[in-house]
Amino acid sequence: MHTIANLGLLFIGAALINNILLTRFIALCSFIGISNDWQTSVGMSLSVIFVMMMASTATWVVWNYLLLPLGVGEFLYIPAFILIIAALVQFVEMYLRKYSPMLYRAMGIYLPLITTNCAVLAAATEVAKPGFFKMAIEYNYTFGEGLVYTLGVAAGYGFALLCFAAMRERLDIAPVPESLKGNPMSFITAGLLSLAYVGLAGWFGL
Amino acid sequence: MREWIRVFKDGLSIENPLTVLMIGLCATLAVSTQLQGSFFMGIAVIFVLVMSNVLISMFRKFIPDEVRIPIFIVIIAAFVTIVDLFMKAFFPPIYAILGIWIPLIVVNCIILGRAEAFAYTNTVWLSIADGFGMGLGYTILIVVLATFRELFGTGKLMFLGATLISLPSGYKPPGILMLFPGAFILFGLLQALSRKYNEHVTRKAR
Repeated sequence: MHTIANLGLLFIGAALINNILLTRFIALCSFIGISNDWQTSVGMSLSVIFVMMMASTATWVVWNYLLLPLGVGEFLYIPAFILIIAALVQFVEMYLRKYSPMLYRAMGIYLPLITTNCAVLAAATEVAKPGFFKMAIEYNYTFGEGLVYTLGVAAGYGFALLCFAAMRERLDIAPVPESLKGNPMSFITAGLLSLAYVGLAGWFGL
Repeated sequence: MREWIRVFKDGLSIENPLTVLMIGLCATLAVSTQLQGSFFMGIAVIFVLVMSNVLISMFRKFIPDEVRIPIFIVIIAAFVTIVDLFMKAFFPPIYAILGIWIPLIVVNCIILGRAEAFAYTNTVWLSIADGFGMGLGYTILIVVLATFRELFGTGKLMFLGATLISLPSGYKPPGILMLFPGAFILFGLLQALSRKYNEHVTRKAR
């Protein structure tokens, strides 16, 4: 029972209270770049959840069974993790293209973009090398907890992205001063949205 | 030489990575709470950008098209690791401020974006100009943003332990400027300003 409550807290903390987009500024490029279309946002969110789970699994295994025992983690973790993510994304793309054209059509175009999505690198590194990110409580994740945490981060990313996409669709028809039109106004809207997330800070002591 | 200057200037104004191309935003908004952190972040980005541009454009004839993204990433990760370890060793207080944002330069879209869009198709000499221009454009913007946020958000401006300017003691700083929403809103306004400036410049050029 205790562990289930703990896992729930871990999930909520990662998804809402320490939301990766609006309270950490990670992965903003995709947040601004993709959110002008609802359909695209849905595809991107799903792809991020998918890739992030796989990336965290891979980095956790590599860190705990390869880098840490060899004692080279401190200076090899950046190249190692980013290479894992890049390779993983490439494989997933090839696999999907061959075996699941449906899924490939839905998320194919977002997959290459995810390589440079900082959210994936940040979450995967946090799971493998805790304290790197000072996101939630400093914590040595077991494998299961790492997965729950990643799911929380990815779900929080998707939720914030979809919220923002919905707001931007409304913004297109709103009367906005000439020089603020487009991106500047989107940033101001994002600021207001993140104000709502600031209100959640400190819940459950997370 | 004239071409060199033109490429250099493009990075500063009409192709400014932050306000026009809107890439590499994550670190900008997160780091810009303090002047000194932003300044060193800018230097780190200039270093990584110029070095990776040079190396990639040197080897552009040997890099096969299909695997160019992983190769770019490994080159960039190597330089980021250099910066990471260098700062950790020689500037520990700065490293404590910047923290995770140094490793996250790897996935900073500016660097991969310039490698792909410029260095991969241009000569070494021009790639240096592009790296310097883009890096400087980034640094100027992040420093302006940080100056404003630190001065009005905390009431004084610090650099390497010395107080540069401090506002009269009756000034009550609005806390929102140091929080996440402040960054978004301020950046939106800054972007509107720089768009006005760019329109002005292009109209004059015509």
